[in-house]
Amino acid sequence: MSIVVADCGDSAVAIKAVGDDPEHNWQLVHTLADAIEAAGIDGLYGAMPTYDALLVEFDCATTDHATIRHTIHQQATRLSKGLERPAAKRFVVPVVYGGEHGPDLPIVAEQLSLSEHEVVELHSGKDLMVRCIGAPVGATMMDGPAFPVPVPRLASPRTSVPPGSVAAAGRQAVICPMRSPGGWPLLGRTPLRVLDLESESLTAYRPGDTFRFMPIAPGQWDEYDGLPLEATDG
Amino acid sequence: MADTLTIHRAGLTTVQDLGRLGRSRFGLPVNGALDQYSARVANILAGNNETAPLLEITALDFSCTPSADVLIAVTGAPAEFTVDGLPQPRWEPVVVRAGETIRIERIRFGVRVYLSVYGSVEAPSFLGSCAPDTILGFGRSLRDHDEIALNTALPRLDHPVFRIPVFRLQVAVPSFGDSWTIDVTDGPDLHEFPDERLFRNEFTVTPQSNHIGLRMSGDVPRRVATGEMLSRGVPVGAVEVPTGDELLVLHRGRGVTAGYPVLAVVTSVGLSALGQARPGHSIRFRRRTVADAVTAYRLQHNSLRALTKRVRTVFSALHVPCPLA
Repeated sequence: MSIVVADCGDSAVAIKAVGDDPEHNWQLVHTLADAIEAAGIDGLYGAMPTYDALLVEFDCATTDHATIRHTIHQQATRLSKGLERPAAKRFVVPVVYGGEHGPDLPIVAEQLSLSEHEVVELHSGKDLMVRCIGAPVGATMMDGPAFPVPVPRLASPRTSVPPGSVAAAGRQAVICPMRSPGGWPLLGRTPLRVLDLESESLTAYRPGDTFRFMPIAPGQWDEYDGLPLEATDG
Repeated sequence: MADTLTIHRAGLTTVQDLGRLGRSRFGLPVNGALDQYSARVANILAGNNETAPLLEITALDFSCTPSADVLIAVTGAPAEFTVDGLPQPRWEPVVVRAGETIRIERIRFGVRVYLSVYGSVEAPSFLGSCAPDTILGFGRSLRDHDEIALNTALPRLDHPVFRIPVFRLQVAVPSFGDSWTIDVTDGPDLHEFPDERLFRNEFTVTPQSNHIGLRMSGDVPRRVATGEMLSRGVPVGAVEVPTGDELLVLHRGRGVTAGYPVLAVVTSVGLSALGQARPGHSIRFRRRTVADAVTAYRLQHNSLRALTKRVRTVFSALHVPCPLA
C-alpha cells in the first residue's frame, strides 16, 4: 500500500497516495477516509480526501499524531486486501448553456477552436465522475469533458458567481452550488437547487457519483427552478 | 418577554462560537471566532460552556444596553470597556444592571474583542454552530438598534465580589501589540522553499486580510520547484505564497481545498494570536517542532480547564448556577 504520511501542523496529518495508477490512488484516499472516520477515534474532526491526498484533522488536546498515524497504517493495511467503493449514484442536471447563464461559452469555444454547439455537445455528452467535494461548499469537482485541450482559467476571477453555475477549467468541471467568487469560465447554469441546506450531509452526491448535463432551452428554466437535485434510478 | 440586549452601535459585530467542526468533506470551512483562546475565556468567565454563542466585536466601537441585570465578560484585544462611563476590568466577570450602557471603544493592539453574557445570547444554529459563513449566507451580523434575546435570566445577584475583585481568577492574559511572533511548524512543501526567508524576514499584514486568510507583504520565500499540484485539503494555518509576491496565511474561513504548496502551518496557539493581527502589524514566524506545538496547546487547554474549575467554585459560592456548564 503506497502512501506517504506527513504531519501537517499540530492538528492534522496529510496522506499522499503515491502509486502509479491515479485511479487507484483516488480510490485509496477516499476509501481510507471512510475507514478512518469509521474507526471512532476520540478527538477526530474528519478526513478530507481529494485526488491523491487525504487530510486528517483532529483535536491535539484529545488525541495525538501517533494515534492518528497508527490508525491510518492499520486501516491502510486492512484495505490492501482490496478496495470497495459504495455504489455510485447518477444525477441528470438540466443546464441552460450560454447567454446570461453561461457568459464565457463563446470565449471557451474560441480557445478550444470549436463551435459553441460543439462545446455544449462535449460537455453534456458523457457522464462525469465527481472526484471530490471542494470549496466553496459542496462544489462538485468532476473529471472534465473530453475537450481537446485544457480550458484556461479567467485572467480576472469574478467576485460573484451565481448559484448553480456550471464551469470548466483545466481538465475539470464543476457546479458551484452557492454564490461565491470564482475564476473558472462559466458555460451555463442549472435551475436546480444543488445543496440541501436542511440535511445533515448537505449534498445528495458523494465522490464517485456521476453527473450528466442535459441542455435545456432558456424558456424551460421555470420548469426546473428551485427543484432539488436528486439521483436518477439506476 | 425574554430579556434582551439592545444594540446602540453595532460597529462590526457578529454572533460567533468556536465554529462548525468536521464538515471539511463537504467543502465547508470551520469558521468561528478567530481568536479562539479569548472567545473560550470570555465564555468560561461568564459561566458558560466554551462553545456558547458570544459577540465578536471587530475593530470598531460598540455599545449596548441589557434589559435585565446581566453578568458579562470581555476579553480579546485591549480596549476601553466602560459601563455607564465607569471603566471596568477586562478578563473578569462583571455585573451590569438593567438599563446601564456597556461600551467597548478604541480597540487597539489587536482587532477583536469578545463579549460573553451569562446564559449566552440566542443565535440560530446551522449544522451545530451559529458561526457566520459568508458563502452559505448564514450567520448574524448585528446592526444598530438590533435586539438580541438572552437565553437565561441571571438570578438576583448583588454581591460585592463582582464590584470588588475578591476572588482571584488568575486568567492567563495573552500579550497584545503591533508586532507578533507567530509559531509555525514545517509544512509538507517547505523543501520547495529552501531560502529560509520565512523565518528570517518580517512581514506586514495588508488590508486584503479577513477571516479567510491574512495576506502579508515583504521579502517572501521563493519557490524553487515548478509545476502545478492537484487540489488537496489544507489545514487552517497553512502558509502559502500563491502569487509569488505575498504570503497568504489561511484562517478559519478558508476554503478546505487548495492547490498551492504549504511552507508551514501556524500552531493552534499561534492561530489565536494571528486572529488579533490587523493591517499594518508586523509578523515574524518562529519555527517549532510539532511536539512543542502540541505541548503548548495542551498547556493552554489545561489552563482553561483549571480556570473553568475556579470560576465554577466562585459561582457556586455565590449560589449562581452555571446553566450551560
